[in-house]
Amino acid sequence: MKTLNTDVLIMGSGLAGLTAANTALDAGAEVIVVEKRPFQGGGVSNTPMQTLVVRDDPAYQNRAFKIHMDYTNWNANPHVVRSWLKNTVRIPAFVRSLGIEFLNIKYNPLEELGTTRGYEVGFPNAFHIGDYYRLKWIGKGHGAAIICKKAADRIREKGGRILFHTTLTKLIKTEDRITGAFGKDVRTGEEMEIRAKAVVIATGGFNDNKEMVEKYCGLHLTNKNCDDGGNVVFNHFTGSRLTGDGQRLVWEAGGAKGAMGCNGHAMVPGPGIVGDHCAWVVYNELRTMQEQAYLWVNKYGQRFICEEQSDNHMAMVTAVNNQPGKCGYMIFDQDTAEHMEKEGVERAYFIFEGNRLHNVKKQFEEVIAKGNKHVFLADTLEELCEMSGIEYEGLKDQIDRYNGYCEKRYDEELAKDPLYLRPVKRGPFYAFRVFPGGYHAFGGIKINGKCQVLNEEQRAIKGLYSGGDCCAGEVFGNPPIGGIGWSTLSFAQGFICGDEAAAYAKSFE
Amino acid sequence: MEGKQKMKLGIRDYCIRCGICEDLYPQLFHVNLDEDVVEVRYDPVPEELEETARSAMKDCAIAAIYMIKE
Ligand SMILES: Cc1cc2nc3c(=O)[nH]c(=O)nc-3n(C[C@H](O)[C@H](O)[C@H](O)COP(=O)(O)OP(=O)(O)OC[C@H]3O[C@@H](n4cnc5c(N)ncnc54)[C@H](O)[C@@H]3O)c2cc1C
Repeated sequence: MKTLNTDVLIMGSGLAGLTAANTALDAGAEVIVVEKRPFQGGGVSNTPMQTLVVRDDPAYQNRAFKIHMDYTNWNANPHVVRSWLKNTVRIPAFVRSLGIEFLNIKYNPLEELGTTRGYEVGFPNAFHIGDYYRLKWIGKGHGAAIICKKAADRIREKGGRILFHTTLTKLIKTEDRITGAFGKDVRTGEEMEIRAKAVVIATGGFNDNKEMVEKYCGLHLTNKNCDDGGNVVFNHFTGSRLTGDGQRLVWEAGGAKGAMGCNGHAMVPGPGIVGDHCAWVVYNELRTMQEQAYLWVNKYGQRFICEEQSDNHMAMVTAVNNQPGKCGYMIFDQDTAEHMEKEGVERAYFIFEGNRLHNVKKQFEEVIAKGNKHVFLADTLEELCEMSGIEYEGLKDQIDRYNGYCEKRYDEELAKDPLYLRPVKRGPFYAFRVFPGGYHAFGGIKINGKCQVLNEEQRAIKGLYSGGDCCAGEVFGNPPIGGIGWSTLSFAQGFICGDEAAAYAKSFE
Repeated sequence: MEGKQKMKLGIRDYCIRCGICEDLYPQLFHVNLDEDVVEVRYDPVPEELEETARSAMKDCAIAAIYMIKE
């Protein structure tokens, strides 16, 4: 069997693995990165327009920490949260060291933290805990892809090795510490032993593992069209091959199971709305319509959330998941369609322009013509219900009450801001169905604030580190409801893993 | 008629398989998930798709699509 030697062995070349590798190389360690796919970047190809940085200032650090910990009701490991936030300050310099400038930076004042949607839209207010660094991108993609490419180039320049098509099959334990791993070339099956002083697991989430999503998140992963009885659809690029390999390797070596969850954004599945591969490719304005706080009901025709939350994607996705059949519908009438065209919508979808929409009816017709089974247009509410599977009696009753709230400008049922109270009266009527879904299934590895992997006794396993999406549950508590993996965490834990693994490796010199 | 060179497209090995090319230009690209590669459907690119090919080169998130010089 081929044998390789290194100081630090890193599994996975997403943001976390690449950051860890660069950091360990800078600290003077030898590095090997193994990546099972033929390219670097992992989850990042669809990723970030911006990343979150908490200012290097005690007032900001403390505020961010407390907002986040309060959000988890102090359920998350505070050391893991604190070290993540502290290490975000290194992100700008790291990105710039790769020759990449930021497009712009949005500095958020201290008193504003925690008071408005995180990431500007999409996330709970508790995610609004720092400044947003917007990445420059090229083409129709996003900045992080370029960061990963340059980070990989830099690893090679600095003498590190990246082995593509390579996975790890088992961690090697010598006495009480991890001393490397067995690996395999996934194309040829050729086996190898990689001896290392420290191992970093940075293999991301488990979006592509149906069994794990079912077992640990209680959701049934489905196809893009949601027509196979499943109920969660990921907006991740198709075939991400994130199958939780790192998590399983760690568990087999005695690592404890950490918090795991699914989250992101409820979506209208099926063709014609967003790209099959890349969710940021939008074909029309239905994605923007989905952000609006008009009437949302479940399949019994009943409201299930104060619709102001429609731009808090994580709240929406959880609420939709709690509904019968795990789906929700947005419904509006021709007057509201015209309102969206003439006055414009109240809410934009992330970066996509969405003031005044264009010919809503035509856009619906086009998506329906493409065979989308989750988008409906009908002259009467009865017909709409027949097409969509919403119970007519329930919907009729709900709409009668709802139209009353609209008239009174007071939502006695769910306290919605009157700004969004628009009656449903004049046909044609529009609806689309959303399923839980979004970005990813994350977490599974339990770590401490130094990114050391913990065993069942909550003691660190020597020589074993982990960071990024595969540990993301740890910063949200268990279960990590309202949690997510995001680039800020993958970068920050990448730094920590790189520092700690390199220092540990050097302790043998 | 001779003269006009035929256009051929290549995909650099650092392509990240994000599939933006197929989402935007399915007539030219295909992400082959089984083999984890992105394929160009034509070699050479037919003349009527040359403009599309140029747009695709610009839209690639990582500048991995290039014209092969012969
Ligand atoms: C659609 C989408 C949009 C997002 N938008 C944003 C955003 O706007 N802002 C933001 O901050 N974050 C965003 N995120 C989250 C962000 O992309 C991730 O948190 C981050 O990229 C994760 O990095 P990672 O290195 O932890 O994991 P990954 O990027 O998943 O990397 C894991 C790597 O490990 C490799 N691997 C897996 N198994 C093995 C194995 N057996 N052997 C070897 N290698 C293996 C994988 O192939 C992959 O390359 C988004 C995510 C998605 C999916």
